[in-house]
Amino acid sequence: MKTLAGLIKGVWNDKQGRLGLIIVTLLALVALFAPLIAPYDPYDVNQRADKGLSPSLSHLLGTSLTTGQDIFSMLIYGTRVSLTVGVITGIAIALLGSVLGICAGYIGGVCDMLLMRIVDVMIVIPTLPLTILITNVFGKSYVVIVTVFVLFGWSGLARTVRSQVLKLKSCDYVKAAELSGASKRYIMFRHILPAVSNLVVMSTALTCAGVMIAEAGLSFLGLGNPTAVSWGKMLADAQSGGSMLFGQWWTILAPGIGIFISVFAFMRIGLAMESVLNPAMKGRSGLGRLMRKMRRGELDKVLAEMEEPE
Amino acid sequence: MKTAYVVKRIISTLVVFVIVVTLCFFIPRIGVDDPCARYYPAQGNMSDSDYEVIKEITRKQYGLDGSAWSQYGRYLKGLLHGDLGTSYRAGSPKVWALITDRLPWTLVLSVSSMVLCLFFGIIIGTRCAMKRGRWQDKALMNASTITTAIPAFFIALLLTYILGFELEIFPAYTDQNLVSSFEWSLAGIGAVAYNAALPVLSTLIGGVIGNAQSIRNSVISVTGESFIVTAKAKGVTERGILYKHVLRNALLPVVTGLGMSLSGLIGGSVVIEQIFNWHGMGTLYLEANNQNDYPLMMGIMIFISGFALVANLVTDLCYSLLDPRVTLGEVSR
Repeated sequence: MKTLAGLIKGVWNDKQGRLGLIIVTLLALVALFAPLIAPYDPYDVNQRADKGLSPSLSHLLGTSLTTGQDIFSMLIYGTRVSLTVGVITGIAIALLGSVLGICAGYIGGVCDMLLMRIVDVMIVIPTLPLTILITNVFGKSYVVIVTVFVLFGWSGLARTVRSQVLKLKSCDYVKAAELSGASKRYIMFRHILPAVSNLVVMSTALTCAGVMIAEAGLSFLGLGNPTAVSWGKMLADAQSGGSMLFGQWWTILAPGIGIFISVFAFMRIGLAMESVLNPAMKGRSGLGRLMRKMRRGELDKVLAEMEEPE
Repeated sequence: MKTAYVVKRIISTLVVFVIVVTLCFFIPRIGVDDPCARYYPAQGNMSDSDYEVIKEITRKQYGLDGSAWSQYGRYLKGLLHGDLGTSYRAGSPKVWALITDRLPWTLVLSVSSMVLCLFFGIIIGTRCAMKRGRWQDKALMNASTITTAIPAFFIALLLTYILGFELEIFPAYTDQNLVSSFEWSLAGIGAVAYNAALPVLSTLIGGVIGNAQSIRNSVISVTGESFIVTAKAKGVTERGILYKHVLRNALLPVVTGLGMSLSGLIGGSVVIEQIFNWHGMGTLYLEANNQNDYPLMMGIMIFISGFALVANLVTDLCYSLLDPRVTLGEVSR
């Protein structure tokens, strides 16, 4: 088993994973220092220029057709919404999904049955229409969106964790802990949770990516916070403002590329973690991978992994 | 197939359905004392007694009289007769009529997209599996991470811009007379296909590559099985192995996945329909959302969930016919 630091190091050694890590760090910096980087404040009504300006030195990507905000600044501020919604939802889902998955898997019985029935229901309910309905009832805000994503998004992770826990349950060290009189809670948090934590971290990266796409879609439909600057809303404004009619393709390309890059980076990290944790899953030939690892002097690690009971 | 298994599956499906209906019924009622007052807000120039009379009429009309539980009971009873309630729109159309009006148009998009995805996905996926590790395979792997990171609606916007506005090959927006002027003739079907081209294409790009990737993985995992080695040892030709042994087994999980994705056929394309202003369920749902038409929203949600449940049930039962171990609980999927 790997520690979190070991996992990140593994991702860093993966070429694609490193790309993902670098991009996410850059995006986080951009989001954090948005007011310093952006030449204009898109939230400030006084800093609006003429509508639909073409790119120039004073407005790198021109201005929006509907409001006259500087698109480059909006792009930078949009990072904040996308990253916060994605990361907060991802972490909350990771916590909820792993706790519920461990409970279902380890305690079993009624608890397991109840949770799995809830999961059955959640899989059936269409997520996007449900989110739309709930934003209609509770108002359009990112708090509502994140809550809905978390409450209805943990089922996938809980299922994966549960099946993993069922396997771990019959492991010798868990049995030994049980026999020596450890409480269920102790076993769950001291033995089972660390064993599934890597799986959870990996799926969190992929969840973040998925949530960011979903958030963009909702903002595009006009269901996010109407006053916030987000990439999805920029796309919607560009489309409804007729930017395509006027041939202003950059107003569509810029936020789209923003969404793409951030989602891509999180996916890359997730996939790199997957191949670090579960080398057999990697699509390429096993021998080639072994050779590469040998070159990096990681063979010992690989062998250690092989000896571990799955 | 064991009868006990079938009965168990059907009962659990029904239970899930009732829970879904309950959720859909009560979510719009959260924090609302009087749904009727929300439908018909008090007007300034109206006396209280007049307002009460109007509310009473509205309650009768939309089944909002009595306690929430008795409304719920009536809703369930109506559901048994296939009645999904009455929409708040002008003319009070039945929800069921609105849905059946839109359903075929959504299915045109989603079914054609699914069929094309599967067709091209199988071709590309098998080819890449055969060329495992070569550039074709690597290209597919890279393409699949890239296309999953691009939201379909962004692809749709780009295609609208390039093919719709710049090159003017396909219409950027659906022809508004498409639905009213539709007739079952070659020209009519051609017009639908012409208008559906862009929406289908924009879901196709991600779909084909995603499908191809999963088919590739499935083909590769089957190729490693010992019965393939046996077939090779018997002297079966490469083509024979591919079609008779590999594909047959590799497509099984794909078919299961297909059953799961059937549920996305109706609700999956809300954003795409919105972009192209397509006369489908997605735009119907968004219209309902804009008009606060809760019965219609509930009806659509219940319809989609019911469809998904039936699709999952049928897939499960078909699967247990194909693979009897499922009924015995030996295979966990």
